[in-house]
Amino acid sequence: MKHFTKLALAGALATVTAGAAMAEGLYLPNLSYRTGPFAATGIPLMNGQRDYMEMLNARDGGIGGVPVIFEECETGYSTEKGVECYERTKGEALVTQPWSTGITLQVLPQTNVDQIPILAPGYGFSPMSDGKTFQWAFNPPASYWDGMSMVLQAISGGDLSSLSGKKIAHLHLDHPYGKEPLPLLEAMGEAHGFEVLPIPVGISEMQNQSAQWLQIRRERPDFVIMWGWGAMNAGAITEAVKTRYPMDQFVGVWWSGHTDDLQLVGEEGAGYRAISWSLPNADAPVMADIREHVVDTGKTLASDEELGEVFYGRGIIISAILAEGIRVAQEMHGTAEITAPQLRDGLANLNFTAERIEELGLSGMMAPFSTSCANHTGHSGGWMIEWDGTQFVQASELLQADRDAIEPLEAEKAAEYAAANAPWPMNEACEAS
Amino acid sequence: MLYRTTGQFKTSYRTDQALFPIRQDAFLLTIILIFAWAILPFTASEFAFQTLLIPVLIYALAATGLNILTGYAGQLSLGTGAFMGVGAYACYKLITIFPEMNLLIAVLLSGVFSAGVGVLFGLPSLRIKGFYLAIATLAAQFFLVWLFEKWPWLYNYNASGAIQVPNVDIFGVAIAGPLATSQAQYYFVLGVVTLLTVITINLTRGSLGRSWKAVRDMDIAAELIGINLLKAKLMAFAVSSYIVGVAGALFVFLWRGAAEPNLFDIELSFRVLFIAIIGGLGSILGNYLGAILIVALPVILNTVPELVGLEIKSATVEHINVMIVGALIIFFLIVEPHGLARLWQLIREKLIIWPFPH
Repeated sequence: MKHFTKLALAGALATVTAGAAMAEGLYLPNLSYRTGPFAATGIPLMNGQRDYMEMLNARDGGIGGVPVIFEECETGYSTEKGVECYERTKGEALVTQPWSTGITLQVLPQTNVDQIPILAPGYGFSPMSDGKTFQWAFNPPASYWDGMSMVLQAISGGDLSSLSGKKIAHLHLDHPYGKEPLPLLEAMGEAHGFEVLPIPVGISEMQNQSAQWLQIRRERPDFVIMWGWGAMNAGAITEAVKTRYPMDQFVGVWWSGHTDDLQLVGEEGAGYRAISWSLPNADAPVMADIREHVVDTGKTLASDEELGEVFYGRGIIISAILAEGIRVAQEMHGTAEITAPQLRDGLANLNFTAERIEELGLSGMMAPFSTSCANHTGHSGGWMIEWDGTQFVQASELLQADRDAIEPLEAEKAAEYAAANAPWPMNEACEAS
Repeated sequence: MLYRTTGQFKTSYRTDQALFPIRQDAFLLTIILIFAWAILPFTASEFAFQTLLIPVLIYALAATGLNILTGYAGQLSLGTGAFMGVGAYACYKLITIFPEMNLLIAVLLSGVFSAGVGVLFGLPSLRIKGFYLAIATLAAQFFLVWLFEKWPWLYNYNASGAIQVPNVDIFGVAIAGPLATSQAQYYFVLGVVTLLTVITINLTRGSLGRSWKAVRDMDIAAELIGINLLKAKLMAFAVSSYIVGVAGALFVFLWRGAAEPNLFDIELSFRVLFIAIIGGLGSILGNYLGAILIVALPVILNTVPELVGLEIKSATVEHINVMIVGALIIFFLIVEPHGLARLWQLIREKLIIWPFPH
C-alpha cells in the first residue's frame, strides 16, 4: 500500500498543454477513423486520401512547391472525439475534414467564427450546397439529395412517373446520416405517386437486421434503397441474400458500395447496385504514380488488393478535390502559403473540366463539375456501379440529379437552419450568381 | 507535517461536526477553488477549455447525481444517459418555445422534468432491489432513447433528427451556441456545478442523506427504525435525476452544441457509472477524481507522443491510450476497490499521523 500511495502521489501532477508546434507546410488534418465500429469502411478511404497527398509530396514536392502536412486525428467515429480533434487542430488547420455527419453538424455553426472551411465530400448536410447560407462548408461533388434523385432515376429507367403505385423501402441507419435523404424521398413520393416506407436500423442492430428484413418480406417493396454505413452494409446484404430478396431491386448510396461488404456474399450478391460519384480505375495515370512513389517505396498503409477497391479510389478523388482547391487558392491569391479563408475561395472556384481531370491523371475516376460562390456542391452526377460477383463494375451512363426538384427544398432547409441559428451571417455577395 | 492537527481544538459539537474539521482541508479546497475560479479561466487555452475543463465539470456533475442514487441510497441505476437526455431535450424545448427565457433558469428548470421521469422509473424500486432494479432502469434507458428518436416534436421536426443549440445570451453575453466564448461557457458551467455540489454536500450530511445511507446499508432495518422507505427512495431518485438532468442540459448546451438521440445511449450511462465507481461510491470528491481519470486523462495522453516528439500514427496512439486507461482503471481498483476518493482519504490519514505511524 505504501508504495502505491507514493506512486499515486508522483503521478498526480500532469501538465496541461495544447496546440502543436507545426513545421512549415500546408497543414491538412483529417479526422480519420481507423478504429471503432466503422473502421472497416474508414480505413480504405483514409488510405486513399493519405496516399494521394504522399504522392504529391514525393512527385511534386507538395502543392505549388509547398509540402503538404497531412495529419490524421483519430476519432473512432465518435462525435466527442471529433470535437476534441477539431479543437486540437483548428489553430493551424487550413481545412476541416470531419468524416461524419454528426461531427459536421457539430462543427458547422463554429465555422463562421473560426473561419476554417469544412470539406465533406459526398456527405454532411445536403443544404450545405447553398453557398450563400453555408459560406464555409463544401460537399462536392454530390450531396445525398443528389444521390437519392439519381437512384430514383436509375430504378425508374429515367422516368419517375413509372414508379407510380410502387412501394419503395428506405432502409437506413437511424442516425442523422440515414435520415438525411428522407425529406426529398418523401417529397418525390408525393409528386410521383409512389409509397415510401422508411425502415430505420438502430446502431445497436446493425449486425442483426432480421426484424427489418422480416418487415421487408412482409411488405414486399418493389425496391429497397439503402443508406447504410459500416457494419450495417454487410448486415443488410447478407440478410437480403438470406431472405432471397431480388438483388436487382436493391440499391445503395455511395457509402454502401464497399467492395469488402460484397465479398462476403460473393456470387450471391451479383446484381446489387450502388450510386457512386467515383469509379476505381486501375489504369488511370494517378494510380501508376501512386504505385511508383508511395506503394513501391513502402510509404502506404494500404494492402495490395485494397488499391483496386471503390473506397480507395474515392479517397484519392477526395484528396484530389482538396489539392485542386489549394492550387486554385494559390493562383488566386498569388501566394503558395495560403490561409484557411483563402482556401475557401479556392474550394468555391473549383473547375474540374474533362481536360483538367485528364491532366491530373484521374481519367475515368470522376465526372466533371465546377463550384461557385453560391454552389458549394458542384453536382457532378454519378454512375451506377454493379457487383458482378467479384468486383464492382460501371453499370450506367453518367446520371444527373434532378436539380429543379431539389433546389426549392434545399433553399427551404437552408433558410430553416439559418433561422434556427440566428444571428446567422449570409453571404449576400453571392446573390447575383 | 503539512497535515499536522496539533493545536486545532474543538470546543463545541458544532465545530466538531463542521464541514472541514481540519484546517488544512479548508485551505486545500480554497486553493483549488481559486484555481478553478480565478487562475485557470485566464490561463487555459481554447483546447483545454473544450476538452478538459468543461467536460470534466459536466461529467463530474452527472456522476454526482448518480452517486446520490447508487452511492448514497444504494439503488443501482443504468439509466443515467437517458436521464441526461431528458434534461437536454427539456432545456432545448424550453429555449425554443420561450426564446426570452434566461438560460440559467432553463437549465435549472430542465432538471425538474428529468426528476419527474426519474421518480416515475424509480417506482419499481419499492418492490425490487439490486440487479433487478438495474434492469428496470435499463428499460428506462432504452425507452427514453427510443422516444428521443421517434417523437419529432422533441427535436422540432428537424430533418436529421438532431437538436442544435441556438445562440443564447444572458445580459448581452453569449453563453451558448457558436458565438459563445469558452470562458463564458466555463464560468456558467462552473457556477452551476459549484452551486449543485454545495447543495449535494449539505443534503448528504443532513437527515435526508442519513436516511439514504440507512436504506443503502439495510433497508429492512431502516424501515424498522422508522424511516419512510417510499419517501427516502423516491427522494433519492428525484434528487439524483434532477442533478443528472441539469448535467445533461449543460452537456448539450454548454459543451456539445448539438446532439443526436444516440448520444444518450447506454455507453454514456456506463461512462458516468464508471466515473462514479472509480471515483468512489458514496463520496462527492470521488466524482471529480473519477471524471479527471476517465475524461481528462485520455485527452492528455493523446498529446504526450507529440510533446516528446515521437512519430506515432494517430490510430496507434488511440489504441495505446485505451490500453493505458484500461490498465489504470484495473490498477486503481486493485489498489483501492473503494475508489479514488478512499485512496485520497488514506493518504490524508497517513499525512495526519506522519511521521509517527502506529
